Amino acid sequence: MMCADMEVQLNEYVDGTLRVAQRATVDAHLAGCAGCRAAVAELRALVAGAAALPKSIEPGRDLWAPIDARIVQGATRNVQRPFWRGALAAAATLVIGFAIYRLLPPSTVHDHPEGTGWVAVQAEYEQAADELTRALAFEHDRLAPATVALIERNLAIIDAAIRESRDALARDPGNVELRGLFAAASRHKVELLRWATRAAT
Amino acid sequence: MTRHIACLGLGLGSALGAVGPGAAAQARPAPIIRIEQRWPFAADGSVRIVNPAGRIRVIGWDVDTVAVSGHGAGAFAADGNGSVRKLVVTGRADLEVHLPRGARVWVKSAAADIDVVGVDGTLDLNSVSGAIQVVGTPVDVTAETMDGRVELAGGTGRARVKTVSGSILLRGASVDLGASTLSGTIVVRAAGWQRGGTGVQRGTFESVTGDVRFDGELGRGGIVELESQSGAIHLRVPGTTVADFDLLTIGGSIANGLTSDAPQRGTLRFATGAGGAQVTIRSFKGSISLEAK
Repeated sequence: MMCADMEVQLNEYVDGTLRVAQRATVDAHLAGCAGCRAAVAELRALVAGAAALPKSIEPGRDLWAPIDARIVQGATRNVQRPFWRGALAAAATLVIGFAIYRLLPPSTVHDHPEGTGWVAVQAEYEQAADELTRALAFEHDRLAPATVALIERNLAIIDAAIRESRDALARDPGNVELRGLFAAASRHKVELLRWATRAAT
Repeated sequence: MTRHIACLGLGLGSALGAVGPGAAAQARPAPIIRIEQRWPFAADGSVRIVNPAGRIRVIGWDVDTVAVSGHGAGAFAADGNGSVRKLVVTGRADLEVHLPRGARVWVKSAAADIDVVGVDGTLDLNSVSGAIQVVGTPVDVTAETMDGRVELAGGTGRARVKTVSGSILLRGASVDLGASTLSGTIVVRAAGWQRGGTGVQRGTFESVTGDVRFDGELGRGGIVELESQSGAIHLRVPGTTVADFDLLTIGGSIANGLTSDAPQRGTLRFATGAGGAQVTIRSFKGSISLEAK
């Protein structure tokens, strides 16, 4: 076990970014500390493993390719039916839109203009949270008391965070950033409830 | 997510039964078990492990064999073939599983700690209150625990870590990182070119009340997002980092130790060059600080 106050220095020691004097200090410490020597060895071992990592990120799956193939297939089967082709394209747009909605990072997901879109998002979260809360209430007894206490403690934390965001939004309803933070807090609540429900059932 | 739900019946059905009130009702003590078995196994096979409590240690080796050893109280069952193997403990056990380095590993537990060392395949690790530790360079890691801490050391192509209150520590040279916690802390020590990696190409780190700390190198063109409701967010990168920075806090403070740019009304936007990384930080009322390494 490395010394708790040495983590940053040891990482920089391995990176070779310490000044000469700092390096000498770490060398002196290492001479008398087996835990930190082991940590340095572990960090150095990362170099070899890191070199084998992929250099770019490949998407997990390509949503567009199969959709495009279906559109093309539909078009060649019956070029006289533009309605269906249009419908397929519209469906593809919806699918992609939904996928993007799900995949975008939380801070950019809910940049809806003020109006019904945002109201719908709020309602969606509240409905999901309510349903999961009811489901959890049914299964509550199947969880260990410590787990129940943990969930309740964290639900209180997240409810407080949601309340703060909602109050701030009431004062500044058009603030897109606030909406993003509110949505993130709401999403955390839904995920916690979903997790707890899964664990209980 | 669907996969998680589908697997739940197998995993936590027995697991949670053992740690919940139902277990207390069992009058007879569980029988003592000793486990020592091995099977020939494909280098890229899939191993599923369920152990409600105790410890699970998974070790990758250069042998086309799955070998399991351990002891505990309850029952142990193994089923499968040369490419899929399922190991299920009912009760509690300290398990040590050696498997081919390239195997895909799925572990479900309620209270057991999970340690994985030297596995390069895909890891899917779930616990309720146990800690999860991964050392090595798996291509893909998903780790979820409510209360336990999670530590990934080494490097992954892709990692997704989630806790409720457990702390998260990600160390090493990873490409695509995502970490989310409600009240735990997130610490990322991202190695980059100095250690043979590329720096973080994509990183999303978010908490509600926990602090978020990113310390390391950003990938060229990488996108990193840090978000917290009330936790402090600290970003420490080399002074030579080329990136666009976009910081916002509604009610907190911003301290910029990276450049001379000053925040205005809770926002700070600046660039240290063109074509670099993109850093977005959002906070409701926590402090945001930038520091040069």
